[in-house]
Amino acid sequence: MRLKIEKYYPLIPVYAAYLVMFLIGRTMPSMWQMVALLAFYCAIGQAFNIFLGMTGYVDFGYVAFMALGTYGMALGITAFYQTGLGIGIIFIGLLLGVVMATLLSLAVGSVALRLRGAYFAIATIGVNEGFRYFVEGAKIWGGSEGMIFSRELKEAFGAEMASQLSTLWADVAVFIIAVVAAFVTIYYMRGKIGYALTALREDEDAAKVMGINVTKYKIIAFITSAAFAGLIGAMAWALKLTYVFPPDVFKIHYTIECIIVVLLGGAGTLLGPVVGGLIYAFSKYWLAVVAPGFQLLIFAPIIIAIIMAFPEGIMGLVKRRAKGTGWEKYII
Amino acid sequence: MIWQLLAGNLTNGLVLGAVYGLATMGLSLIFGVLRVVNVGHGQFIMVGAFVTLIMFTALGLSPVVAIPAALLLGIALGFAFFYTIIRRLIKAPELASLLATFAIGILLEEIVKHIFGAEFRGYNWDLGKIVLPITVIPMTKVYAFIGSIVIAALLYLWFNRTKMGTAIRTVVEDSEGARVCGVNVGWSYALSFAIGIGLTVMSGVFLTMFIPVGINPYMGGLYTLKAFVIAVLGGLTSPYGAFFAGLIFGLIENGSYTLFALIPGVEPFALTRFLTFLILLIILLIRPTGLLGAKK
Repeated sequence: MRLKIEKYYPLIPVYAAYLVMFLIGRTMPSMWQMVALLAFYCAIGQAFNIFLGMTGYVDFGYVAFMALGTYGMALGITAFYQTGLGIGIIFIGLLLGVVMATLLSLAVGSVALRLRGAYFAIATIGVNEGFRYFVEGAKIWGGSEGMIFSRELKEAFGAEMASQLSTLWADVAVFIIAVVAAFVTIYYMRGKIGYALTALREDEDAAKVMGINVTKYKIIAFITSAAFAGLIGAMAWALKLTYVFPPDVFKIHYTIECIIVVLLGGAGTLLGPVVGGLIYAFSKYWLAVVAPGFQLLIFAPIIIAIIMAFPEGIMGLVKRRAKGTGWEKYII
Repeated sequence: MIWQLLAGNLTNGLVLGAVYGLATMGLSLIFGVLRVVNVGHGQFIMVGAFVTLIMFTALGLSPVVAIPAALLLGIALGFAFFYTIIRRLIKAPELASLLATFAIGILLEEIVKHIFGAEFRGYNWDLGKIVLPITVIPMTKVYAFIGSIVIAALLYLWFNRTKMGTAIRTVVEDSEGARVCGVNVGWSYALSFAIGIGLTVMSGVFLTMFIPVGINPYMGGLYTLKAFVIAVLGGLTSPYGAFFAGLIFGLIENGSYTLFALIPGVEPFALTRFLTFLILLIILLIRPTGLLGAKK
């Protein structure tokens, strides 16, 4: 039994970081928006890492799963706001978002995961863009105008509760998602799937020859990662902003942000997305204040420098340093 | 009536398609030789468009002069980015080069934005037009069409008739084998990247003749996506495959737009885009060597 618990020690620094963030946000109301931003990037990094970090496959269309989560919540609220189900409609929306993201990932995963490397990356971009233009072109779900549902939300919950949902509970939910995603990450890492995916990352053909069902584990990681993206989209985008606008929710820049967070912190590590998410969100927030309009001009060379200087990310370096010391069991 | 409209639009599609083809050859050349997907591809096209615009409006020079200027600027940029960044990422996992080229694209966008502003700008270069029974085509587009074909043909000759071109083709086939046979693989990488970027920037000159609303620093992303579809159609590793795929893409884009416009209650423009990405996925899944590529 002791051994089993020890497996989960690396969660301690992760949860400690989340707890500190949460407490800072709750005790200082002026900090809550920033803390929510930090939590968003940590959560999305955590979710993206489950697939990218563990398999090494680059999903360039990852934002599509967040988009579907957002649409799920939007559809749930607009369809059920008059039924008097109370908070139930939020759960319906959340469920719809997750189911839709999961179904798309199942469809994409079962066909596109046969492709490797750059071909997979291009295929996933194709899925993301294709889906966006299908929504706009066929005029489903509001077409290119998207959906606005702040009125529906107010009607269902009253003005005060609706604003509470958007400004407080949506952010709290993101924290919870980040906590669960971290747990799932380590559960996978320390389980059979983690070993299988490590083998796959090193040499996919060899892993196959050794009798590992690589396709199965790839799809599990892909779907898990997509389901979390759906949850985050439903909460951090739909419920928080109370609208969905296709050019925004399918924007490739969000996928890139996920990649940066994971790569900066260290792909395939548990603490990496937290470290990467905090650094990225802090610098984004800070640059927006000190150098508005110049954020991207400053970010682009930094990204290139990071790729060239620390391809294994911050936690990759820390992990190597910690090897053989007492810290080792807290860091993966 | 509809047939005449379709025929007219297909003709325009073919003309535009040649320019699309030229605009994608650089992407395929770079992927074929270096196995690097240039996610910042469209931003290099944007640079070429700005070269044309600045030379025309500020210096009063014809876009004909902009063609060699854009090519040289592109080659210079290609060498600069290759030796500072790309060279070290060739052997790294895909993630590194995908993210780095995306960042290069953002860097170009932001630099151009801070110098020239983000608004749309256009220029007017009128050389008359050709009146066909089915459609009317401005002469500038006709010249862009002919220019694209000539450049693609020159590139073909360079690849197949010169020693350096042959060396690069052997690197595409098998870089280890080429090294063993005495090909300078490092130089082939550098030259292919520089020529690829040069072609891409130059294609921006031709594309400006097809953009009635004008250009702006953020026009590139769209062309990256289109170039991906075209490159996949052409087999991803072959520049000529890309050129012919560009022609096909131009026909598909304009033809399907004409047909989708007949369906009431939809947005034909977005559906056209949807169709192109659907084609991308289908080709990747059933025939990753491209529409024109040889079966393995």
